[in-house]
Amino acid sequence: MGKTEEFIIPVGPQHPALKEPENFTIKVDGEYVVDAKIRPGYNHRGIEKATESRTYIQILYLLERVCGICSICHMTNFCLAVEEAMNLEVPARANYIRTIMHEIERLHSHSLWLGVAAHEIGFDTLFYYIWRDREVIMDLTERISGNRVNKAIPTIGGVRRDIPPELIRDLRKGLDVFEERIKYYKSLILKENTVLNRAVGVGILTPHDAVALAAVGPTLRASGIKSDVRADDPYLVFDEIPFNVMTHDGCDVASRVIVRCDEMLESINVIRYCLDHLPDGPIRVKVPVIVRVPEAEVISLWEAPRGELIHYLKSTGGTMPYRYKIRSPTLGNLPAVQKMLIGNYIADVPIIIAAIDPCFSCTDRMTFVNVNTEKSWVWNNEQLRRYGNKWYQQNS
Amino acid sequence: MVPAELLKIAELIVFPGFLFLIVYALFLEWVDRKFFARLQNRYGPQHTGWKGILQPWADLIKLLAKEDITPAAADKTIFTLVPIFYLAIPLTVMFLVPILGANAYLSFQGDLIVVIFLFTLLIQLVFFGGWSSVNTFGIVGGMRAALQMLSYEIPMALAAIGPAILAKSLSISDIAQWPSRLIGLLSNSSMPLSIAVGASAIFVMAVGFGIFTLCMLAELEKVPFDIPEAETEIVGGWQVEYSGKKLALLRLGGDIELVAASALMTALFLGGPLGPWPIPPAVWFIVKTTICVLIISNVRALFPRFRIDQMTYWMWKNIVPIAVLYIVAVEMLAAVI
Amino acid sequence: MAIEPELLKHLTKKPATLLYPFEKRPTPEGLRGRHKWYADRCIGCGLCAQVCPAFAIELDGRGRDIKGWTVHLDRCIFCAQCAEVCPVDAIELTQEFELAGYDRAGITLKFTKEIPAQATPEKTTEKKE
Repeated sequence: MGKTEEFIIPVGPQHPALKEPENFTIKVDGEYVVDAKIRPGYNHRGIEKATESRTYIQILYLLERVCGICSICHMTNFCLAVEEAMNLEVPARANYIRTIMHEIERLHSHSLWLGVAAHEIGFDTLFYYIWRDREVIMDLTERISGNRVNKAIPTIGGVRRDIPPELIRDLRKGLDVFEERIKYYKSLILKENTVLNRAVGVGILTPHDAVALAAVGPTLRASGIKSDVRADDPYLVFDEIPFNVMTHDGCDVASRVIVRCDEMLESINVIRYCLDHLPDGPIRVKVPVIVRVPEAEVISLWEAPRGELIHYLKSTGGTMPYRYKIRSPTLGNLPAVQKMLIGNYIADVPIIIAAIDPCFSCTDRMTFVNVNTEKSWVWNNEQLRRYGNKWYQQNS
Repeated sequence: MVPAELLKIAELIVFPGFLFLIVYALFLEWVDRKFFARLQNRYGPQHTGWKGILQPWADLIKLLAKEDITPAAADKTIFTLVPIFYLAIPLTVMFLVPILGANAYLSFQGDLIVVIFLFTLLIQLVFFGGWSSVNTFGIVGGMRAALQMLSYEIPMALAAIGPAILAKSLSISDIAQWPSRLIGLLSNSSMPLSIAVGASAIFVMAVGFGIFTLCMLAELEKVPFDIPEAETEIVGGWQVEYSGKKLALLRLGGDIELVAASALMTALFLGGPLGPWPIPPAVWFIVKTTICVLIISNVRALFPRFRIDQMTYWMWKNIVPIAVLYIVAVEMLAAVI
Repeated sequence: MAIEPELLKHLTKKPATLLYPFEKRPTPEGLRGRHKWYADRCIGCGLCAQVCPAFAIELDGRGRDIKGWTVHLDRCIFCAQCAEVCPVDAIELTQEFELAGYDRAGITLKFTKEIPAQATPEKTTEKKE
């Protein structure tokens, strides 16, 4: 038998399996994946550089658009960082409303992911049903915040809108309906053999590998490791309310599905608890229109639907930050993806990539580090393009 | 008096020939898409014509008007011939299946074997189409089609032979008459015997119908067996490089293949176009093939896509033994009747 | 096979699709849509233009001789920060969301002090030949 030639399949940047552009170059031998190379960077927009020339209120809305699905996460995390630097005390009602919006966003994100995962394995019927049921959450979000996607509820010092009593009533009713449907989908997925065939034993990530490759979020929790920022390092009101971390021992795609379904049910419980115990009082503290942050260095951790989100703020006094850095959870999960792809079939590639719930809009911000001079700098899109053109002109 | 040859040529071109088949194929595509959409709680085609019935026509005409690009590295002869043959072969199959009455346009002993052979040839064309595209995704799609063919050809042939054994003939036009003959036989014999024989015949032939439907789904490359053309994995598989007129021919060929598959299911298991008077056979043909398409649409909405190794394993491990047992049961039934 | 009863149940239900634009849903209160400028309330402080994250607001004149107010809808991100920061509540975001236009003139809202306070200028919606 001669040596079989290796076959290279490019998945991305444009591919029906990816909702956002990314490049996975996959070497295959027949139907087996032998090697995978991941190249992020197609969604780089220069956001971190843009924060250095905008005031804090303007940055609030800039960061909302880092990612459509995790917009509340980026906004509120930024607010927490700035409030920590300014030593601002946010009223209790604002924190409860922030928590409610945060968990509603988690519901939205996980149900969107469930539909997309069903689509990746070819189960379009389930995809349509789940997205139809997700509309309940979208409609409620629109009524609470004024927009379906970019919700713009948190602000420095509190929240911008209150939830009136009739809306609380409708929110409870909507949550009941949604909970019924999620329970049905979870039982369906566990019963349907054809779905389990595509998900069980696929994309194995052992607990040892998960910790060594720094996986975060449901990817980590599906390998049995109990790690959640809301429990380990509580923010907002998570130190006051009862809250369980959901894990599963399967280490494969099916357990990631189960972990996310369980997280959705747990989020519904958290929202109900917050609605029951919503304190009265103001929803925001007065801050000046042009916010001035004293000299400080703040790291703010957050549990986004995809995992641990880290924001770093360095301020030297003044109205604009000196440096703002975002490390989003998908970047943490990408090395684990490379490990998971090897040894599986081509047919499993879309579902494995989808199983970490990739959000490449959050992921692509590039910092350049020159190892010789130990200088680091951040470029925005325009500077990168000019440098690239110049380099090609000189070297080709 | 119109000469017989002229009548035959008119039949070939208009009814039940090319024109009727093309119109009927596009109608069945609409039925398929509309039923599939309703099962998924959405509308399906809605605005073109009455409830979207002209949507398949609109898609076909739009594709015919688009630019036709052949990749520079592709094998031009095979690349161009594949869509043409992909359209011609299902049309050929349709001439061997009874539509207007008990006899097809062309029938002879052994035409069942010819039909099975033509279906095999169709999948070979899929492989050639993918291979000649010289595109990574096309080649993977073509190879998957070849592997899929190895899985479902045997159960399909076994399931098709069952009615042939029962009807003691290898011509589809004769096979289509086995239900009417069975009913005639049973009404002439004693009550308990006819009930026992009738019930067991229905059960055994239902198993055969199920196996044949499954294999026809794999032939038509519909979910759960649309592995050669998996959209989310290999972007369109073997059809990825086809565009414009060639893609239009491929899609039309796929629709006529749907007609051929459901016509075969009707002729072999449901008694063909024969039915109680006074409804004419052509209407029975349309009703029965539409029911078959509804069954296919339902199965399409029910399952996710199989993986190619799971499909091969499951077919050989589960379906082939059932098919063999089914043939044994049919033999026993044929001895009684 | 587990989903089959669910499938058959849907044959009798009305489809979940909203046939927009033939069917429209009522928009919720508080939807952040098109802007409305109350010319008689505006004091020309310029806070809205200063705070806008997308630099979409232009003032014509300042202080008491404010003559007009323009918002570029192709830049606006509908965050309602301008409405929030205005000290005299001269800006309001209404519930109208069908704001597409064929050219830049069609999606620029120019308000002037001559036009009565509640009315908003018409946008061009016909395609230019």
